Amino acid sequence: MSFNSLGFAAFLPLVFLVFHAVREEHRWLALLVASYVFYASFGAPRLLLALLLVSVATYALGLCMARSSSSRNRRAALWAGITVNLLALGSLRYVPLLSTTGPPLPLAIGVSYYTLQAISYLLDVYAEATPAESHPGYLALYLALFPRLLQGPIERAADLLPQLRRPRPFSYDEARHGLLLFAWGLFKKVMVADSLALYVNKAYGDVHAHAGLPLLLATYGYAAQIYYDFSGYTDMALGTARLFGLRLTENFNFPYLATSIAEFWRRWHISLSRWLLDYLFMPIQIGLRRWRAAGAVLALLVTFALCGLWHGARPNFIVWGLLHGTLMSVALATAPLRRRLGRNLSLARRVSAVGLDSTRLGEAAQVFLTFNLVCFTWVFFRADTLSDALYVSTHLFSGPVALSSFLFFFGPRQLVLTVAALGLAVAAAGRDRETIAGESFRNLRPAVRWASYYALVATMLWSLATRRSEPFVYFQF
Amino acid sequence: MISERLKKTICRELDLDDFEFEDATTAGQVPGWDSLSHVRIICAVEAEFGLRFRTMEVLRLKNVGDLQALVDARMPID
Repeated sequence: MSFNSLGFAAFLPLVFLVFHAVREEHRWLALLVASYVFYASFGAPRLLLALLLVSVATYALGLCMARSSSSRNRRAALWAGITVNLLALGSLRYVPLLSTTGPPLPLAIGVSYYTLQAISYLLDVYAEATPAESHPGYLALYLALFPRLLQGPIERAADLLPQLRRPRPFSYDEARHGLLLFAWGLFKKVMVADSLALYVNKAYGDVHAHAGLPLLLATYGYAAQIYYDFSGYTDMALGTARLFGLRLTENFNFPYLATSIAEFWRRWHISLSRWLLDYLFMPIQIGLRRWRAAGAVLALLVTFALCGLWHGARPNFIVWGLLHGTLMSVALATAPLRRRLGRNLSLARRVSAVGLDSTRLGEAAQVFLTFNLVCFTWVFFRADTLSDALYVSTHLFSGPVALSSFLFFFGPRQLVLTVAALGLAVAAAGRDRETIAGESFRNLRPAVRWASYYALVATMLWSLATRRSEPFVYFQF
Repeated sequence: MISERLKKTICRELDLDDFEFEDATTAGQVPGWDSLSHVRIICAVEAEFGLRFRTMEVLRLKNVGDLQALVDARMPID
């Protein structure tokens, strides 16, 4: 039961009604049962079992750490918790990949997200950055909460657990806001990302049949597809959570407007990059600080290789991660030189560790360069094999340049629809998304406003029922 | 209260002429202080005061006030 399915369109209103019908003190239970039913709907009981085991172990070991005065015992409990989570992640996600023959790979959705969240909870309890949760129900709900169970955001305990404990009475504005955010996310997913996928999948499905412009367009198309797919999902997750009075972490902040790769990672999949930064990069870098720049470079490469591995045990993902690690390392190594250069040219007003600050033109050039570097790395992320990726990366500018390439895989109707949907999404990005969800329809007369709401719901149901929907890209991770 | 010596060390490492630090100042509020320059600053502070922090102590720092407190706790009392 994915967010973009008719089943979810029936499940969500039902859970919403039950949540607000039961007494305040039982609402956590309503949400927890709903989350387990949601997870069970994927027809893989071992996933639910693994989630339950991870929840019990994380709860018990968190309390064990909090109640123990011996630093040795605390450290043992931390490592036991990390091991349980890594075992769950490894056995469900990576071990099945080792067999090259046999039945299709079993589902492992959600595992990568809730295990990282459980590890972050344990590390925060160990570092005394958050208290251990004493209520097993809240801890279980923190890990299982269905709006964020499948693809995040990966929430810090200090951000989500206090919200779960707080009374959350019904609020018309919050519910309305949540539904509009959900609708906006669904539009981004179904109308923009899925339309672009038609083009991208055809080009990347058989890369050796193409060269030049079709591959270049498919690569830019994939950059847009993966953004609208994942940010669309995130809007739907954030919108769903708001129906229950919960605020989840933003995962995107205009990532393609970043002026450096480091900034890109502060704007792209923010909850994952924050996790990698806090729990992997910083400890490694601090541990290796005697090695100065070499330590930082090693920490970057290890972090990004593991970031690639987290997306899947394929050489493509590891190369993609290492490319980002290498680009960041180059930026780090050249930062002092670029700062001096900037000062000498009297361009620098503010000092940035990874990019020159200069005129708006210079900033635009940095955005352009960063965007194109990121797009180049997406080649390795999207291609099915490493040899496909190498072929695409060496054939982006070869082959005949014909205008017909724009229509290469699209019929004229599909092209118009895709460009219109993409244009609308880009135009709307100029406005604050909170404002869009908060202000849309508000000033209309009640009859027109409600007619608009019903039309919107009908369109969404129609699109879910009639279009063949692509699974979310980040579903597989 | 942030000491002049700590302030100068941070500013030198970030190429800043001057900056008004308060106890609650976080890295994000200081130009150039990001995750990549953070460890450089910690190394510079360690060198300046002749100290060596533990990894967990550095990871627990939330603001400049925490850093000052960590330095004060480790410095011999005059």
